[in-house]
Amino acid sequence: MVNSTRVQQKYDLVQKVRRTLLYIIITVFAFVVLFPFLWMVLVAMKEEGEVFKLSLKLAKPFYKNFVDVWKNPYYPFWRFFLNSVIVSVSGGVITTFICALGGYVFAKKDFYFKEPLFWFLLSTMMIPGMMFLVPQFAIVTKLRWMNTYQGMVLPHVASVFGLFLMRQYMQTIPDEIIESARIDGASELQIFFKLIVPLSVTVITMLFLLSFLFHWSNFLWQLVVNTPESGKLTLPVGLALYRGQYEVFWTKLMAASCYSIIPIVIIFLFAQKYFIQGLTIGALKE
Amino acid sequence: MKRKLYDTIIAYLFLLPFLIFFFSFLAYPIVYSFYLSLRKVTIDTSFYNIFSEMRFCGLENYIKLLKDTEFWFSLLTTFYYGLLSIPLGIFVSLLLAVILNSKLKGFKIYRSAFFLPNVLDMLVVGIIWTLLYAPQYGIITRIADIIGITLPQKGILGDPKTALLGVVVACVLKNCGYGMILFLAAMQNIPPSVYEAAEIDGVSEIQKHIYITLPLIRPIIFFLIVTGTIGVLNSFTEIYAMTGGGPITTLFGKTYKATQVTGYYLFLQWDRMNYGYAAAISYVLLIITLIFSFVYSKLLKWK
Repeated sequence: MVNSTRVQQKYDLVQKVRRTLLYIIITVFAFVVLFPFLWMVLVAMKEEGEVFKLSLKLAKPFYKNFVDVWKNPYYPFWRFFLNSVIVSVSGGVITTFICALGGYVFAKKDFYFKEPLFWFLLSTMMIPGMMFLVPQFAIVTKLRWMNTYQGMVLPHVASVFGLFLMRQYMQTIPDEIIESARIDGASELQIFFKLIVPLSVTVITMLFLLSFLFHWSNFLWQLVVNTPESGKLTLPVGLALYRGQYEVFWTKLMAASCYSIIPIVIIFLFAQKYFIQGLTIGALKE
Repeated sequence: MKRKLYDTIIAYLFLLPFLIFFFSFLAYPIVYSFYLSLRKVTIDTSFYNIFSEMRFCGLENYIKLLKDTEFWFSLLTTFYYGLLSIPLGIFVSLLLAVILNSKLKGFKIYRSAFFLPNVLDMLVVGIIWTLLYAPQYGIITRIADIIGITLPQKGILGDPKTALLGVVVACVLKNCGYGMILFLAAMQNIPPSVYEAAEIDGVSEIQKHIYITLPLIRPIIFFLIVTGTIGVLNSFTEIYAMTGGGPITTLFGKTYKATQVTGYYLFLQWDRMNYGYAAAISYVLLIITLIFSFVYSKLLKWK
């Protein structure tokens, strides 16, 4: 009996040490992963001369750079921010809408060429997006969509991932309630808007957030569709051009970066379960 | 039968908006890209009507591509980049998932912390890393000095030996949360009773992971390899933000850019208005992707 308590105690001790070690490892790692962003905020609050000094001395007032960024006359930062918001919101809304419509019929209707069409759509997910750079640019040029919002948004709204996500989710809606709505005389559009959409609020939120994010960070395409003097430049393109011109002003660059990062962090903190669920559904099924 | 016909009409009406965008901007470009790859911009091409006035040149672009050592070097760089970043990314994600899965307190906070960078803009993250990696005075160089490691004079991103590695570290730290989330979701589907049964049989902690966890998460590993490969063939923004393709390195007496992956090279050709040539590069990229998906699908069946 005495012996077994000792063994138990030893086992507990080993477990305790092991857990403490695990905590140390992941805490250090979490710090490493988040360090770049902490550093970004710190540098954004410094004086330019202090950037490379290992001190916590801040500019006076500490938000000076954040205000200055908005006031640079050669660099209409508020315009970039606004353009990014317009592009991301419209991209998110259009993607979600067309994918919800399409995902619904793939989940709930039996129609000709359904399977081959679905596999054809899915197979295009394997193609690297770089592949589309030149032809999409050619199409946008021919449509005279250079330096426009539609040029930035429309080529990237047909998200096969989004369609798949919607289908996966809507398959879980029971057929009986759709059938009974039909018996009650609801039209196809009524069924979709009054029944399916309210039942799919979760997945709609997921896809909206994910595609908002996609357009917020869709740097290469936004760079390609805009000429440098365009009034439609978005945040990342603006940042890239800004860096090209005044590489030395790290404090201003980091303050500007904060405006790209912080809104997403805030959205993420409130809605992370949607991001996590959305990405998991998209990957785990099939 | 009549029902199916009716449903088909309804279904395609609902699909119409999606299919219009899909065919105009995704399906048609695959064909159009091939058309463009057989043409080139010449001095006769009007600047305002470039794509209609490119001249047919047969396979010239493809032949030029075969002889273009800069292109082949960019492919090598891309493979090297993939060989570094994909296994490392999977390893780190898996490690984090295994640790987080051992019922730690604050599970959700840690999970959020690791996942957060994944949703942030790659360009901005890349710019931040150039500041961290800055030669001599950058914070990473300072820390390395304190520990006693000497980093290259021109900084990690300025030295051809370490530049790509620097990009890989930044990307793995940014993206590992995604793999972790998938692994965690898969692990939480494993019923605890399976582990308990193993414990009763006297299986060690590490054996438990090798014999129970690993086979059950193999589909996720496979998924991450496939998406990782596509991601690497697609890589552009991280290179643009952090190195711009540089620094210069020499191989067999020729100079190359050490981090110029194929995606970046394609972008440069576009930037120089070599549209036909860039389209030819796209096609070669597509063929490489098809080969990879073929090999992967064979591997999956074999397992």
